[in-house]
Amino acid sequence: MNLAIILAVTVLMAAASFFITRINKKAGGFTTVLSSLFALAALFFLRGSIGEDFAIFYFTFSITTVGWYFSLVMVMAYSMTSFFNPYWMEKMMYPGSYNFMYLLSMAGTIGMFFAKDFITLFVFWETVVWSSTFIIQLGKSRKASYVYYVISAIGSMATLFAIMLAYSVSGTFVISEAFAGLSGGMAIAVFFTFILSGLAKIGIFPFHVWLPEAHGSAPHTFSPVLSGGLVKMGAFIAFLSVTAFPAYEIFGDMFKVFGAPLPIYFLMALGAISIIVGTLMAIKQEDAKRLLAYSSVANGGYILIGILMLDQVGFAGGMMHLINHAVASAAAFLAIAAVAYRTGTTKMSEMGGMIHRMPVTYLVYLIAIISMAGIPPMGGFVSKWLIFQGLADKGMIFLAAAAFFGSIGSFMYVFRPLSAVFLGQTFTRDLKKKEVGFFMMFPMLILTGLSLLTGVFPNIFLRVITEIQTSIGLIPVTLAENTIVTANGFLDAFRVFIVFGFGFAIAFVIFIVRRKSTKVELMDTYTSAEFIHTRELLHYSSKFYAPFERMYGNAPDTMTLYKKISVKIRELGGLAESLFYSHKPEKTVFWMMAVGIIVILIGGVV
Amino acid sequence: MTVMNFVYGFLVLLGVFIFQTTLTGLNRKVTARLQKRYGARWYQQFLDIFKALRKDSTSHGWVFDFGVIMALGGIMATVIFIPISGFQAFPGLDNVFVISYLLAVGMLGMAMSAAGSGNPWASIGVARALTNMLAYDIPLMIVIFAMIFAYDSASLSEIAAMQQGMGILGWNAIRMPLGGIVAVIALLGMLGKKPFDSFIAPAEIASGPMVEYGGKHLGFMFILHEFMTFIEVALILNLFFGGGATIWEYMLKYAILYTFANIISGVMPRFKIDQAVRYFYRVPLAMAIVQGLVVILTGLGVTIWF
Amino acid sequence: MVLKNDDNRNIWEKIGDYFSANSIWMKWYCTGCGAIEMPPTMTSRFDMERLGMGPMATPRQADVLLITGYLSTKTLRRVIYSYEQMNSPCFIVAFGSCTINGGIYYDSYATIGRLDKYLPVDLYIAGCMPRPETIMNGFNELIQMIKKGEAKGWKHYQENYEWYKKNQLDSLGEIIIKDEFHE
Repeated sequence: MNLAIILAVTVLMAAASFFITRINKKAGGFTTVLSSLFALAALFFLRGSIGEDFAIFYFTFSITTVGWYFSLVMVMAYSMTSFFNPYWMEKMMYPGSYNFMYLLSMAGTIGMFFAKDFITLFVFWETVVWSSTFIIQLGKSRKASYVYYVISAIGSMATLFAIMLAYSVSGTFVISEAFAGLSGGMAIAVFFTFILSGLAKIGIFPFHVWLPEAHGSAPHTFSPVLSGGLVKMGAFIAFLSVTAFPAYEIFGDMFKVFGAPLPIYFLMALGAISIIVGTLMAIKQEDAKRLLAYSSVANGGYILIGILMLDQVGFAGGMMHLINHAVASAAAFLAIAAVAYRTGTTKMSEMGGMIHRMPVTYLVYLIAIISMAGIPPMGGFVSKWLIFQGLADKGMIFLAAAAFFGSIGSFMYVFRPLSAVFLGQTFTRDLKKKEVGFFMMFPMLILTGLSLLTGVFPNIFLRVITEIQTSIGLIPVTLAENTIVTANGFLDAFRVFIVFGFGFAIAFVIFIVRRKSTKVELMDTYTSAEFIHTRELLHYSSKFYAPFERMYGNAPDTMTLYKKISVKIRELGGLAESLFYSHKPEKTVFWMMAVGIIVILIGGVV
Repeated sequence: MTVMNFVYGFLVLLGVFIFQTTLTGLNRKVTARLQKRYGARWYQQFLDIFKALRKDSTSHGWVFDFGVIMALGGIMATVIFIPISGFQAFPGLDNVFVISYLLAVGMLGMAMSAAGSGNPWASIGVARALTNMLAYDIPLMIVIFAMIFAYDSASLSEIAAMQQGMGILGWNAIRMPLGGIVAVIALLGMLGKKPFDSFIAPAEIASGPMVEYGGKHLGFMFILHEFMTFIEVALILNLFFGGGATIWEYMLKYAILYTFANIISGVMPRFKIDQAVRYFYRVPLAMAIVQGLVVILTGLGVTIWF
Repeated sequence: MVLKNDDNRNIWEKIGDYFSANSIWMKWYCTGCGAIEMPPTMTSRFDMERLGMGPMATPRQADVLLITGYLSTKTLRRVIYSYEQMNSPCFIVAFGSCTINGGIYYDSYATIGRLDKYLPVDLYIAGCMPRPETIMNGFNELIQMIKKGEAKGWKHYQENYEWYKKNQLDSLGEIIIKDEFHE
């Protein structure tokens, strides 16, 4: 019953915030903060009632560990980002509807993960898609919301088709029984159309074109939610497609590539391609938010590969990467939003040296990218280690090559905003800017602490994941008290952290023992003894990886492919129009005579 | 995890520092003999490091200092994990992935502090260093991945132990010959030696990331370079050349491998960074994939061997 | 500038000077016509690396600044800027007679006459241009001076900063110039 209360309260607060914003904009922003914090706290205590089933009107819900895990990740992204809402209320065109849609989409995500039958799932899924479409439009461009909605609609309609097809065979909508009795060609059709919405939502190649548009142009306070939260909805569909389906048994006698049935390997290969495409495109970008959007594409590929592996170690890695990526991506987007709040832009070539004015934001961004790049001692390393061990167990060499490429390429693109925005020369117009207020720093520091926690004590989260694994019938990953044990070796993240601290301490002691350094100004630097006075010209930020970009910079975009397809469809429509909708009397007479002759012939035969 | 582990770790650091710095000094003599001159004294590298630590230094802000300390701290932590002919200061944590990624902490710290100096030469050097890393890591990691699958273990000391006892036929460089060639080429890339040293490039980009380092920061960079060299050569030594049953055998093999890499780089020019990337993604990548498929699909070299 | 050898260094400074003497890095900035004698000294025939000396790219990393020949006023501005970017303890070695008394350009309006009015010189190497053997002799002398603690030019510069600045500004007008492209 608690879930009903959470959902009802959130929807009511959504409506209330709309009216409160009409009166006072900042108060409306604060209502989103309060409502999402309440949802977070209430969901946390929902863990005690795992296993219950109940119904509200026609919707049936069942509290499972998986649903609890996913919804907690989502609401955490929502609640941390909501702290930024009050500051952007002045600049937004329709603040009332923004707050309303924000809370409504949060209610949709909470309901979706606990759904027991597919109609509930679909209704709440579409609530989220619709409300986020309207929020994205409040950002920089309208085209972004069109692209987002069209690709989401392709996915949603395909999933609805799959659900109806499964219903025609099994006769029920309940998730755990809806796919019973499928086999052969029907199974393949249902499998691929069902997972299409998941692929579209995570942003797997070739459906990744909406991510840079939407994340890049959404309002600054919604991009962290989009990247840290909404793409995880697609991961849930992918999870359902291998557990509720169940894919490995139904495809059990198909041709196996490195131990995985061919359809599943095909999807994992799509995930690998999206890792490579996301990494390469991210290296090229000039805008910080589009760069982080492409990094979400790459990380989505990791999550898909991890979840589809469905074994002891790789699956745990995929699920853990969910929370690691959510935390790191939300923190990175929030840091960029804080900088945009002070400077008004997110283009990296227009900013520089912000560390001297905003050191805390810099630290938040630094720890976020250490986690995203998969470097110990932060959380991203543990999940990537688990995925690599899983791939090594099965010997999937091409997927592993793509995964390594994504991992090492991620050093390149996450370093670029760090060096272009925060380090380097400070621009003249930014010399007097200040750090953001404490209310904005608070969620960023919490996310940073979470990154550190998942890295040093990963077993806290892995225990929840072992419960998920037992609930779907897998052997859970082995956990000793602080170590993770796999077939190829074990990892003790806490000891790695302690030794890292030990090395840091030795280096610090050597540093302190020597004489203190003289502080010199930033412009007093080696310029081959030439006298330089313009700060902006001494900052290296645009075309950062120019030699590397030149090698693939002229490759065609996936968006061009979509445009060419749309042009072809329009030509087809033009052909039909010229055949059937013409103004010439000869054509009308021709068609009437043709139809008449056919009717007489058929009538004559019959 | 007792105090003795930390004491062993500190002793490992000290021993590695002395051994590697002496070896670097000897290799300066080798390079000089290649160029028909006498070269520096064998302890010249020690003098360089202590002279740099002794000078005054200038700093551009707290991230300039912090990055250097973080880099050296991360690299020292990685050195403590490397097994030296079976002896490990912290047993069980010598996973290949842990070591490769802790190396990245060092690079990230150096990159942070270099870019924090405000000099565009430093940022260009860092961009080239990261591109270089993308180039050499992929072929090497594919071969290592195949090795992990075949040996069922990702621990350096275990893979080294499995190669011993058969003489030279037990080395992975002989069992997987294409993989061994890829490993030595990737070692040249990792060490930052010619032809892959465009991110240091003294006359082109004014020594890249080290452009604003003076005094103790430069001393730290030199110490960092010594430790990083040790980690990389020891990684390839343990994985492909059988580690060492005793410590003297280990040190001898290490010295031969490092001098070999040095001699090759002493006669080569410098690649541009996109030439380096294109080079690694042609023949070494093809060799690595062929070797990986052979090992995974047939087991030749691991399960089918003498 | 008179170098009195008052040896009041403590034990740490003596050890530090031993290291500084045996590992001198020169700034790769060769002014004037004496620069032609540096490549033979650095390369295989005369091999500067035997003494522990080697080239380094930037002034922040370098120990010794070699003024190899005459200095026009334009170059002197940049040399002063580079010298002030160097970390102490740093040394200046002046090659050739142009730095001692103006050399063959003694009556030119565009070059300077005596270098040690503007920058503290630790060692002069006479000649028009000194050959590599002379240069190696000079470097040996520099190493002995550093070991004994006699190469104190950087301390002299810090203690008599106003005197040097006054000389520099009298001759040059201003050191850091803004040309017509900026501000």
